[in-house]
Amino acid sequence: MTRRPLLLPVLLNLGYAFLYLPIAVLVVYSFNASRLVTVWGGFSTKWYAQLAHDERFLDAAWLSLRVAVTSATGALVIGTLAAVVLVRFGAFRGRGLFSALVAAPLVMPEVIMGLALLLTFVALEQILGWPHGRGFLTLVIAHVTLCTAFVAVVVRSRLSQMDRSLEEAALDLGARPAKVFAVITLPLIAPALAGGWLLAFTLSLDDVVVSQFVTGPGTTTLPIEVFSSIRLGVSPEINALGSLIVAAVSVVILTASWLLTRGEAERD
Amino acid sequence: MSVRLFAHMALTLLLLFAATAARADDEKVVNVYNWSDYVAKDTLEKFTRETGIKVRYDTYGDNEILDAKLMTGQSGYDVVFPSATPFFAQQIKAGIYRPLDRSKIPNAKGVDGDVMTSLTRADPGNLYGLPYMMSATGLGYNVDAINRRMPNAPVDSWRMLFDPAVVSRFKSCGVTLLDTPTEVVPAMLTFMGRDPLEQTPAALDTAMHALAPLRANYRYLNSDKYRSDLASGDTCLAHGYIGDLVQVRARARESKAANKPNIAIVIPKEGAMVNIDVMAIPADAPHPDAAHAFINFLLRPDIIADITNAVGYANAVNASLQYISPEIKNDPVIYPPADIKARLFSALPPAPPGFDRQRTRAWTKFRTDRQ
Amino acid sequence: MTAGRAKLDWGRRAVLTLPFVWLLAFFLLPFIIVAAISLAESRVGIPPYVPLFDWTQGGVWPASHASLDNFVQLFQDDLYVDAYLHSLSVAGISTAICLLIGYPMALAIARAAPARRGPLLMLVVLPFWTSFLIRVYAWMGILKDEGLLNSLLQGLGLIDQPLVILNTDLAIYIGIVYSYLPFMILPLYATLERQDPALLEAAADLGARPWRAFLSVTLPLSLPGIVAGTLVVFIPAVGEYVIPDLLGGSGSNMLGKALWDVFAMSRDWPTAAALAVAMLAALVLPLGLLNRLQRRLEPAEEGA
Repeated sequence: MTRRPLLLPVLLNLGYAFLYLPIAVLVVYSFNASRLVTVWGGFSTKWYAQLAHDERFLDAAWLSLRVAVTSATGALVIGTLAAVVLVRFGAFRGRGLFSALVAAPLVMPEVIMGLALLLTFVALEQILGWPHGRGFLTLVIAHVTLCTAFVAVVVRSRLSQMDRSLEEAALDLGARPAKVFAVITLPLIAPALAGGWLLAFTLSLDDVVVSQFVTGPGTTTLPIEVFSSIRLGVSPEINALGSLIVAAVSVVILTASWLLTRGEAERD
Repeated sequence: MSVRLFAHMALTLLLLFAATAARADDEKVVNVYNWSDYVAKDTLEKFTRETGIKVRYDTYGDNEILDAKLMTGQSGYDVVFPSATPFFAQQIKAGIYRPLDRSKIPNAKGVDGDVMTSLTRADPGNLYGLPYMMSATGLGYNVDAINRRMPNAPVDSWRMLFDPAVVSRFKSCGVTLLDTPTEVVPAMLTFMGRDPLEQTPAALDTAMHALAPLRANYRYLNSDKYRSDLASGDTCLAHGYIGDLVQVRARARESKAANKPNIAIVIPKEGAMVNIDVMAIPADAPHPDAAHAFINFLLRPDIIADITNAVGYANAVNASLQYISPEIKNDPVIYPPADIKARLFSALPPAPPGFDRQRTRAWTKFRTDRQ
Repeated sequence: MTAGRAKLDWGRRAVLTLPFVWLLAFFLLPFIIVAAISLAESRVGIPPYVPLFDWTQGGVWPASHASLDNFVQLFQDDLYVDAYLHSLSVAGISTAICLLIGYPMALAIARAAPARRGPLLMLVVLPFWTSFLIRVYAWMGILKDEGLLNSLLQGLGLIDQPLVILNTDLAIYIGIVYSYLPFMILPLYATLERQDPALLEAAADLGARPWRAFLSVTLPLSLPGIVAGTLVVFIPAVGEYVIPDLLGGSGSNMLGKALWDVFAMSRDWPTAAALAVAMLAALVLPLGLLNRLQRRLEPAEEGA
């Protein structure tokens, strides 16, 4: 194996260094005694202690997590279906409109998207009586709509280069299209599905502009809470929360990686 | 892992998460939408304990999002805290609020009469709002950095920002303006000796003409960045809200850095704008009685004193002074002495139609003008 | 398989229904509302524009005239054209840098041992589960005149005077590249992962050196991923607002900020809506091109 033995891993690690440099800074400042992140006031762990008791942040974080999981899953379903339609269906009446609708949420500025969705929800409530006020449901609807475009793009690129021979063989043997899709196609595009879900989850977790418009009383997500606190300076409690998330998920990732690698080695 | 299993898991998770969102709507609830960090730690708890009404508390970081939600109607909120200028004034004209029932707010009698009078420019007849917290707009500066560059600088005057001979001396250490034309334009008009409340194209032109050549002196125009930058010593002179600058001064004091900045705050002697955040009830509020009770609670002298002590902004309830910490009470930028007070102006009336657009356009042009 | 030219069989229609209806209800409808606002006049009231249609009388009645005034005003004003061009250039440069950094990372992950790929991908995404604002503040702390980067470079003796990066366009590039990197890496990875290592072995067997194999085999096959990544980075980056606001200088005239000014500062929803519609129209061209490209790279759809 003499294919570029060192270059790629070096570039990868440089990339990770770039990605994690601000994270390192952020972790350091979670131990800052002063509230302002630009002023070093000495070492302190008080923000971690405060975080444990800060119901507002913890509630907001939990809400954000729930919204993100639900939205990512919804966007995955709709985005994958959209990708399938665009790649496999050929021409049909309304294809142009459909294609435009799938891609357009990428272009719409978030401020206008948020406002438009809010106005839509208000109008729908006036005409249909649903949805009742703004809250979890409107938040999820908004996030799913935003994320679908991203998922569709990712899944589409993978779907388009798939080797069809397995599918065709199964169809020739008489399997129904839905079954072929579920049993053969989906596993083959699994990396794109995972990637799409991750992308949608990340987007939803961090979204603030659209979210601000479509939330109602009692539904404040973590990014909204954080952005609102910009006046007094974002509290290092957020740094503490971020550090904890990074630490916890890293542990999970490293453990999973170790287990998987061991599993592979054992199989040899 | 089989696809079917994954699908089952996904569906279950989905339902689980969605289900935990269902929440019964209580009768005794008040939906409050306020600025972040704008109450004392125990204010909400105390309210619930005394009245049995639960508080659903959401926060925002700028007037604009509150405005957008109110303007679409049916926001679902019972009590909101807009700034008097320019938002509250314009929102009243749009018919957003319901008149306050003073019989349900006995504590309103304790509010300072002068403040109420100044609010009538935005709210004729004082029908829709009661003052909550007040803060002037002024200057914050790094004492040593300014002294080094100009030992006898006119630190108590708008000249620091608007006199080309003065501000250019500080360009190198970082001068910043607020990114808010409704603050900067009146400040410039005051500096020029004109009426700051004048909202005419002629006055706007005069102010912007005077500002244009000064643009190169300002490192940036931003209403958020100046706090952290001034506190860390990255900038040396900032146009900012007194309430925020007080926090900046406190944070800078906590710094353990070798060159920690010594921040001073001043309300310019020519006169300055006072921002009053008011409490108001939207016309379509779902729990108007609870809303009135909440406002009444907040106006209680000891309660509002707690809030002033926590956030460092002045309030308009005179009886609260006895509970306010001496540090805050005696701070001339938070509770200005009579001579400064006389020169403060507040509550711009709603702008004539079309003027807002003009002002924003002129401001955007000014901000992005590269020289 | 039945023919799917103009009409779809019911099975296919079932698949089409969910995404189509969803997007009609939650994207097209909002967009129509925005378009309606862009044709309306500003006013003081709820809502702050004169509605074109009146919902309240149990039906839809035209209530006022539509006009293109808002659009005319936009085009007459060089401020917005300038903002658009500048945003395009900033987004373009950032996307290019993002591609340069993201491609090798995606390739490295795709070539890693299968057990490692999932974890490596997760590590790419993990930083973005902290909060956006604190990441931007961290960058401010790194890039400012007395920040980490300058202290390091000065300490190593590489520079005398601090590099002015914060509050310039360069900081915006860094900010956008950083924030959109996973958006570039994930689609690229999805494409690269599929590539059969046998192809590269064959190229090597035929005497091609690694670089040559990369250029003639790997790169062309990954084109759909490159297009996808470019799409999801460039298009949204044009409308970016928070990053230019916090990291860039105020002199930087960008569309996102211009839009926010019009919407928030002057509560001029009709002009803001017109600006959004204009943005959409203006980006339709690059979007259409990229979409076309994606379609061209896809094999012919199944027909009769």
